[in-house]
Amino acid sequence: MSKKYHVLVLVAALSAAGLTGCATQVKRVGVEEVKDLSGAWNDTDSRLVSEEMIRDSLSGGWLKRHLKNSKNEPVVIVGSIRNLSHEHINTRTFVNDLERAFVNSGDVRVVASKNEREGLRGERLDMDTNVREETRKAMGQETGADYMLMGSINTIIDAAGREQVRFYQVDLTLVSLANNEKVWTGQKKLKKEVQNAKLRF
Amino acid sequence: MQNFGSDRRQPARAGGLFVGLLALVAVLGMQGCATHSEGFRSIEQQAAIRNIPGAIKALDQFHATDLAKTDETLKYLNRGMLLRLQADYSKSNTEFDTAKSLIDKLEAISVAEQAGSALINEGVKAYTGDANEQLLLYGFKALNYLQLNDFDAAAVEARQFDIKQRLITEKYPEAKFISGAFVRYLNGMIYEAVGEPDSARIEFTKALEGYQSQSKFTNCGAPSALRADLARVEGKTPSRSKSSKRSRSKADSTPDATAALAEANGEVVFFLHNGLGPSLAENLIQVPNPVPGQGTSLLRIALPKFVERPLPVMRFELSSGGQSTNSEVAEDVNGLAKKSLEARLPGIQTRALVRLVAKNKLTADAKKRSEQAAKQNTGDLASMLRMSMGTIMDITATLTERADTRSWSLLPGNIQLARLALPPGTHDLKVSYYGVNGNLLSTREFKGVRVDAARKTFLSDYYL
Repeated sequence: MSKKYHVLVLVAALSAAGLTGCATQVKRVGVEEVKDLSGAWNDTDSRLVSEEMIRDSLSGGWLKRHLKNSKNEPVVIVGSIRNLSHEHINTRTFVNDLERAFVNSGDVRVVASKNEREGLRGERLDMDTNVREETRKAMGQETGADYMLMGSINTIIDAAGREQVRFYQVDLTLVSLANNEKVWTGQKKLKKEVQNAKLRF
Repeated sequence: MQNFGSDRRQPARAGGLFVGLLALVAVLGMQGCATHSEGFRSIEQQAAIRNIPGAIKALDQFHATDLAKTDETLKYLNRGMLLRLQADYSKSNTEFDTAKSLIDKLEAISVAEQAGSALINEGVKAYTGDANEQLLLYGFKALNYLQLNDFDAAAVEARQFDIKQRLITEKYPEAKFISGAFVRYLNGMIYEAVGEPDSARIEFTKALEGYQSQSKFTNCGAPSALRADLARVEGKTPSRSKSSKRSRSKADSTPDATAALAEANGEVVFFLHNGLGPSLAENLIQVPNPVPGQGTSLLRIALPKFVERPLPVMRFELSSGGQSTNSEVAEDVNGLAKKSLEARLPGIQTRALVRLVAKNKLTADAKKRSEQAAKQNTGDLASMLRMSMGTIMDITATLTERADTRSWSLLPGNIQLARLALPPGTHDLKVSYYGVNGNLLSTREFKGVRVDAARKTFLSDYYL
């Protein structure tokens, strides 16, 4: 009787554990919570890059120099951020963070990028025929950028067996559109050690 | 007395439970007795008649019975390939990505699968693809990106391939046939296209070495355009042998000539998935057991054997206006798969023999318990079951001995490549497929293909 009881308890426990595994579970977590699953580039890496780049770019000497030589705040356009890494990385996450920091600081103005402005120009073209005159926005009134933000992500991966060391280097540069001078360069390096599982069920 | 009798039956009960479990797993694993490759025929037939949605539907139905999910990787590999054939490159890469993640995850050893493969058959192990299949996965993903005009993403695949190939070489240092020469050649083109000539030079050099090292096992050497590419990135002029000059007709633009012309013009790089690739069949070796009472009635091992399927296209001609070029074989998928199986076969044979011994021992034990049960026969159902355990185990052990005939069978038998230099602009292209006897099989037209100066335009087709 006692043995049967133990077996029943064991079966019930195993069933409960099994059923728990069957259901999809969703848990809200803080965006700053670090959770590394595969070792690949993730939200934490993107956040670390944007934090570093925002701090560095807004405190850099280029801003002071620009304001010294010009009455207006610098205008920045986002150019090409090339992914030269081993992973398919979405660079828009930290670039958008940087854009937001520029705009919200009030010290740097940002104009729409090449891809974004196509849609804006299309909308203005549409306005020419479809909107009331007093609300229509004219063509040819765009703000020209002073600087273009460019950059790249590079990686070095050393792998042997189940171990990998992943090194990421993100470089961002502000280049003067007037004379191609690089006025600011930001860099963030990240290194991870990844050990893949030896055993699975 | 009652307690004593009850204790004596414990081992028999445990053995019976084990045998029952084995039979259940066997039934799940056998899936109607057809080998994997036999069950896959209807999918291949649908693909061959260019009914890709029908093939995908058949594929999903085929995998619906994979309750143990051991063929999950194969499902995504084949779905990815079918979507690629359908020119749905983005979705194809989503499927390939899933396959890649699964392969990485399945690198870890599963104790349950190892035990299962030692007692049942190798089909209970999750499929991870052989080394060449794994390398080709990166190539097809890169090709998808190239055909989506996303060269930077293709370069990411090229970089990942380099790590994968290095790890595979570490694992199989003697396997010269796992060079990934074709993917390296493709990667060279990718690096050149994204403005990384140094990486391109390294890839072209490694591709050339790879083609040379695997030429013993395959029906293809290094494509002539590869040498021209290497010479170009090294900043040299390609040297041409007298024989190659003689064989060049005026109408034909040979691959190395097109590569040189591509500097000033644009270039169309055309890939053909020719026929269907590696398929494995079951080779059953069985003899009656001289002592059937002390083991299985039949001593049986099942091994996979390579089945080469005929390739429909011997060559194709790519033309536009007055320009034309002939194809070359860039990857002999069949040749490499055959060599890979040959290399794996000794291990498969050893494991099959170990399994034979294990099954024989388990069956002998079950038969012994059945005999004991027969002596204590009480006439009830449980007693009858215990008496038949030996026979059940005998049948199960024999029927579960199946060869693992799984392979990424929607890979092409070979990949042919043609490169045609064309001036910038929009071009109508014609592809003429020729059979083994030189007869024209069919032609296909690709209208309005955009070619940009000093850039490559990647196209592909399939003929199954």
